[in-house]
Amino acid sequence: MKKIFLIFMIVFTAQVSLAQVKNVKGVITDSDGMPLPGASVAVQGGQKGTTTDFDGLYTIEVQKGQSLVFTYVGLETQTIVVGDAATINVKLVQGASNALNEVVVTSLGIKKSKKSLAYAAQELKGEELTRVKDANLINTVAGKIAGVAVTRSSSGAGGTTKVTIRGNSSFVNNQPLYVIDGIPLYNGGAGQPNGTFGDLNGGNKDGGDVVSLINPDDYEGMTVLKGAAASVLYGSQGANGVILLSSKKAKAGAESFNVNSVTTFETAAYLPEFQSDYTSNAGDPRSWGAKQKVEGDKEIKDFFEVGNTQITSMTFTKATEGASTALSYANTNGSGIIPGNHIKKNNFGIRQTSKFFDDKLSVAVTANYVTQTINNRPTNGLYFNPIAGVYSHPRAFSLNDLKTYEVFDPVKNMMQQNYPGFAAVNESNENPYWQINRQKSIDKNNFFTGAIALDYKIAEWFHLTSRYSYNRNESNFQKGMYGSSATSLVHPTGRYINASLIGTQNYADLIALFNTKINDNFSFNGTLGTSINHSRANGLTIDSGIGGGLVLDNIFTLGNFVNNNGNVQTGAEREVQSVFAAATFGYKDYLFLDVAGRNDWSSTLANTDNPGYFYPAVGATAILSEMATMPEFINYGKVRATFAQVGNDIASTITSPTSGIVAGNIVNPPVGPRRGTSLKNELKSELELGTEWRMFNNRLGFELSYYTSDTKNQFLQVPAEPTNPDGYSFYAINAGSISNKGFEVVLFADIVRGEKFNWESKINFSQNRSKVNDIPSESTGGRIVLTDPGSNSYRYSLIEGRPFGVIEGFDFQRDAQGRILVNDDNTLQRTDWKEIGNANPDFMLGWSNTFKLGAFTANILLDGRFGGEVLSLTQAINDFNGVSKATGDARNAGAVNINGVRASDGTPVTSMDPFDYYSNTAGRNGVSSQYIYDATNVSVREVSIGYTFNKTKLPVFQTATVSLIARNLFFIYKDAPFDPNVALSTGEGLQGVDVFGMPSTRSIGLNLNLTF
Amino acid sequence: MTLNIIKRTAICFSLLTAFSCTDNFDEMNQNPVGATTPDLEQNFNNIKGLIKPAFTRLYISDVTWQYQLQQSLQADGWSGYMTSPNEFGGINNHNYNLNQNWNGFAWDDAYVNIIANLFKVEQRAKGKYDQFYAWSLIIKVATMQRITDMYGPAVYSSFGGEGLATYDSQQQIYTQMFKDLDFAVTDLTARVAQGEVSKFTETDQSNYGGNYSQWVKYANSLRLRLAVRISKVDPALAKTEAEKAVSHSIGVFKINNDLIKIKSPLDLNVIDVMSHVWAGLAMGADMESILGGYDDPRLAKYWEPSTQFPGEYKGVRTGIVYPTPSTYANFSRTGARTKTGEVTWMTTAEVYFLRAEGALRGWNMDGSAKDLYEAGIKASFDQNGVDGAAAYATDNVKKPIDYVDPVSATNNAPAVSKITVAWGTTNEENLEKIITQKWIATYPDGQEAWSEFRRTGYPKLFRITNNKSGGVISTELGVRRLPFPLSEATNNPKGVESGVEVLGGPDNGATRLWWDVNKANF
Repeated sequence: MKKIFLIFMIVFTAQVSLAQVKNVKGVITDSDGMPLPGASVAVQGGQKGTTTDFDGLYTIEVQKGQSLVFTYVGLETQTIVVGDAATINVKLVQGASNALNEVVVTSLGIKKSKKSLAYAAQELKGEELTRVKDANLINTVAGKIAGVAVTRSSSGAGGTTKVTIRGNSSFVNNQPLYVIDGIPLYNGGAGQPNGTFGDLNGGNKDGGDVVSLINPDDYEGMTVLKGAAASVLYGSQGANGVILLSSKKAKAGAESFNVNSVTTFETAAYLPEFQSDYTSNAGDPRSWGAKQKVEGDKEIKDFFEVGNTQITSMTFTKATEGASTALSYANTNGSGIIPGNHIKKNNFGIRQTSKFFDDKLSVAVTANYVTQTINNRPTNGLYFNPIAGVYSHPRAFSLNDLKTYEVFDPVKNMMQQNYPGFAAVNESNENPYWQINRQKSIDKNNFFTGAIALDYKIAEWFHLTSRYSYNRNESNFQKGMYGSSATSLVHPTGRYINASLIGTQNYADLIALFNTKINDNFSFNGTLGTSINHSRANGLTIDSGIGGGLVLDNIFTLGNFVNNNGNVQTGAEREVQSVFAAATFGYKDYLFLDVAGRNDWSSTLANTDNPGYFYPAVGATAILSEMATMPEFINYGKVRATFAQVGNDIASTITSPTSGIVAGNIVNPPVGPRRGTSLKNELKSELELGTEWRMFNNRLGFELSYYTSDTKNQFLQVPAEPTNPDGYSFYAINAGSISNKGFEVVLFADIVRGEKFNWESKINFSQNRSKVNDIPSESTGGRIVLTDPGSNSYRYSLIEGRPFGVIEGFDFQRDAQGRILVNDDNTLQRTDWKEIGNANPDFMLGWSNTFKLGAFTANILLDGRFGGEVLSLTQAINDFNGVSKATGDARNAGAVNINGVRASDGTPVTSMDPFDYYSNTAGRNGVSSQYIYDATNVSVREVSIGYTFNKTKLPVFQTATVSLIARNLFFIYKDAPFDPNVALSTGEGLQGVDVFGMPSTRSIGLNLNLTF
Repeated sequence: MTLNIIKRTAICFSLLTAFSCTDNFDEMNQNPVGATTPDLEQNFNNIKGLIKPAFTRLYISDVTWQYQLQQSLQADGWSGYMTSPNEFGGINNHNYNLNQNWNGFAWDDAYVNIIANLFKVEQRAKGKYDQFYAWSLIIKVATMQRITDMYGPAVYSSFGGEGLATYDSQQQIYTQMFKDLDFAVTDLTARVAQGEVSKFTETDQSNYGGNYSQWVKYANSLRLRLAVRISKVDPALAKTEAEKAVSHSIGVFKINNDLIKIKSPLDLNVIDVMSHVWAGLAMGADMESILGGYDDPRLAKYWEPSTQFPGEYKGVRTGIVYPTPSTYANFSRTGARTKTGEVTWMTTAEVYFLRAEGALRGWNMDGSAKDLYEAGIKASFDQNGVDGAAAYATDNVKKPIDYVDPVSATNNAPAVSKITVAWGTTNEENLEKIITQKWIATYPDGQEAWSEFRRTGYPKLFRITNNKSGGVISTELGVRRLPFPLSEATNNPKGVESGVEVLGGPDNGATRLWWDVNKANF
């Protein structure tokens, strides 16, 4: 009886429940598993409907047996009959028009459908960042994104990279902002070199940065927001564009273990050419002696070793209902082409996500730690740089002779530097092997980032998100220099430098997100938020100095210092508080209006009229292909326009000048505002127009953007009159503006799409024109000098009315007929400083191709920079020293032909003795116009040929690919005697010039990728 | 820290859009490792700390290239002491093609690193801690005397006023310098009488160790130098000031321990670095001619024999055509005198020679011209640790020798100085001897030597052979001043204008200064 009752009850209840409405939930993703926000879910034939949230999640009330219709513009609609399951996850596959379904990660990590964007955003998939892996992730971006110029540092593996988006728009900082999962990354470093000679304190050093440390395998992709509109929500820091990185996320219900191993071999490429016919005279550091076979190109090249880089990374991911974990480890181990140069890097990462309270609250916690050690990081310039001696040493001695770099001095009972050919070494001439072995340096970096992100779903249409992150970068540089180095660099008892810099950033935000359909026609998407960003940099340098020295010879420790003069502490702090709001109004999913605004308050503007500043953005987008009937072959057409402003604060401590203390002396603050004046923020205004089209079944598409921007009220420092009562050397002022205009084209085509063979091709083209205006009258000669020449003949300046970054130097003084004026003493007349080149390219072109043939995939990327100039002081110095091929050829020919005229009497001078000519024109302070080269170059940037093993035949692996990879394989065209894509500095100065920079390398290797 | 941020963020967020929390921005924006004013007031550090840097800046003694720009590329060459063994930099002061990128350095550095500090000392100490103010005035005069003797008009009385500074004439500056010395000497002399324990001890980087009395002696000696400098243009004032200095109760330098010198904080000698490490300084031909001719034992102290001509002291003429950049690379380089990190600001020997000239001019200098002249020679010999001053001082045979350039005969020149050392008869002859001996004794301070050469024409120096001034500066007269610095011309053009107005001539290297009157020495 009881049993019967029970059965009855169950049946009854079941019947009741069958008749009742139930809640179905799920996630809608695209074919790659990317969640689709804003997808529609409707009950067929009914009134009910909803849209997915930012993570593609939906919940809907529906009765069993009814059908749910899942739609997303551009994807194939799916209809699913509701059964017993409470969860229905849907994967929508590409429909006829795939341009409409793309989702991009935009400002603050907010995902948006790409079609609604009113500005240019270009994506790179994770694969494109890791296919031909580089120790620095950013180097793999070169040529792949229109409008992004990537310039590598000449400091080799572990070096920084200069990224300039849409041209230089600031006098002091043009690096973009890096953002990981919506949180700005602290990208501080220990600075960049800016001396044409080098740096007395250990050589021209690449101070490193944070972005060069990160593990490419941790990220599933990159989005570059190029313009001001795209970055208005990041404020100041986003003024130069934003590079967004998204962490790899575990796919629900799966676990995987991925191992990737890359081994590459680097060889020195593009060395200067050397003569091998003339030796040096006894006691003469220059090689202008008798004709006699000496070492030439091959022997000099043999100095460089074959470098080797191994990058091994492992990623473990697992996701279950409501929780996921991703763990990663990467190891980089490499040796450079200069003996003694090594890099070691270890990356650890963890990402954990969990959901609570009926999945209403999601929590993501990430932590990454990187430790990197570089031995003998290559420098450039004349000081502490073995390359100088390798190229310049007097040719009566071979590199082999130089290997005996020290000899025993019985008087001092110690080893002393031996540089055959030199009576006494000096700062520009030291034995390269001594520099490698007795002036060793270690660069260390430890970076930690930890973040916690909370997201609470208050309603389907209303989320509250809050994030906190902490970044800490510790960099340390140590160099121990033995006595008997050049005494202008190193005290005779030796010198020790130990410089540390700790940068930290605390970031927190609170954002309310709205996403709703007002009715069938109108949608609204809004953001309201506030953030705080506090950063701090504390430096501590101990340096026994050039004059002070060490008490006990060559014992490198602080307790052994003679005095305190070189020990310096530095510090700076910055806090930016912000509130911001943004809204997108959509009409029928084909017209979108964007408005955004932000107010920042920056501590760097303390003591000014107003530490706060506001800036707005407005944009509009129309999907033409949805609005009107287009010809059959057009799949997608969009036009967009946007206007935006971005404010930018100034450097720390400027408006609160405080005296410093160095070696017990009070030091006046070097810079401050002029008495009676105040400072304010910089302001960038940008107008951008664009259009995007896809056609022929999406096999051909292009995107076109035009922009014009103007950045005014530039924060800059001008020399103060020395008689100012504050003892300032510089005044900080707002003046000057830089305008940039240009356009970008992205063109892609599936040229062949077949069963067995596919060929996809993509072209990125960009052109930028910059102009510097309103240089303040206080600037000497109407220019801001970014790199002071010292007594060398390279100066890097901003000049009124000229493009950003003019190379200045000396030229021959010529008569009306263009003949060089020759003095009676056979010296050649030269001009004063004048513009001799421009470091900026006229346009850039990247062309990537992917070929698929069966299991084989081949990629080739051609990267071209057209226009602009570079200066090679290396070549000038090699000529002066008589070691270059040019001087050998000239001597073999007997004379240098010139088109000259004697200034005193007008007699033509048609040839000159090579020694006289090069003594006059070459060298670091010679007639530099003779060493200007066209920077135009086209290179085979990346090549990879990969083979993917057949899944079904693999024993334990899910996937396995092996590929042959090459980076910087060769130049199709190049004029300069060095690689113009490499710079001595990734800061603002020292661009477009080579002064004994490490030669660019060609890298070839193997990439093995396994997933278990 | 993190907690604070969270707290502040929470508070700020709770206020959201209406307000922001910017109260602590000022504190945040300060250099956290700098020094605030209240912290520095302890133990007078806010004053002492401002005076101390002057000891390395008056003659820059720590950063070699800065001294090179401050004085080596100008006065040290024009004084005939030393010169570059190659055509350094093309546009070169030595051939009178004045390089303005170099020539403003002395001015810029003096104002930014000394005068701006001393101005703050005045604000903090005047009327309150007058001993510090007095001390700062002595250093100010030492600094500004050098600056005005380089450029002429300069910013003195209007420094620290509203807006951009205007220039005083050199006459106004000299008048003010005498007044400033009056204050300093009066104040410190009174403190000496009261037996005040010196407050300078920890700060004083000179050999005086903070001794008030020694600083008064230096102030008096400076006054004497200034007085002699203006003896041709304002003889009456010169006499008054000179006699005031000599007759003062504490008086002027008399023994070699009185001379003032400092030690480079890095224990390096910038001149030695330039000569030996950079191979950028060689002995001047005048040194070879004059000291060589007198068989002066100081020659071996000042210079090393040439490595190219072993055993010989070979100098290089200033402002010549260099056959090749390395022609003169191995001529004589600097010797023991500039091997230590010591920099002498003013010597006792100089003071004797100043007194000798004063006596020659009929001022009461507490001694006869001849005696003071010979005492000067003796003081210099003693200072350099060489013997034979007595015989040297009475030698009436040896004369400067002709200069022979062993590698380029076009530079050969007969000796231009024709005097002996022994005291002579006429005032003019004796003045030449005094100045020539002072020139030897003052080495390596080319600035004083160049000033006295301009004022008196002594010692007679070799002319340059490669004048590239474009007709602006005569080979005969040489460079008379430095043009106003570019930094001022660009950033304080009105000030420069006011300076040119009181200069009394075009702003170039040929215009004579106020005390540099174009008339006979007597």
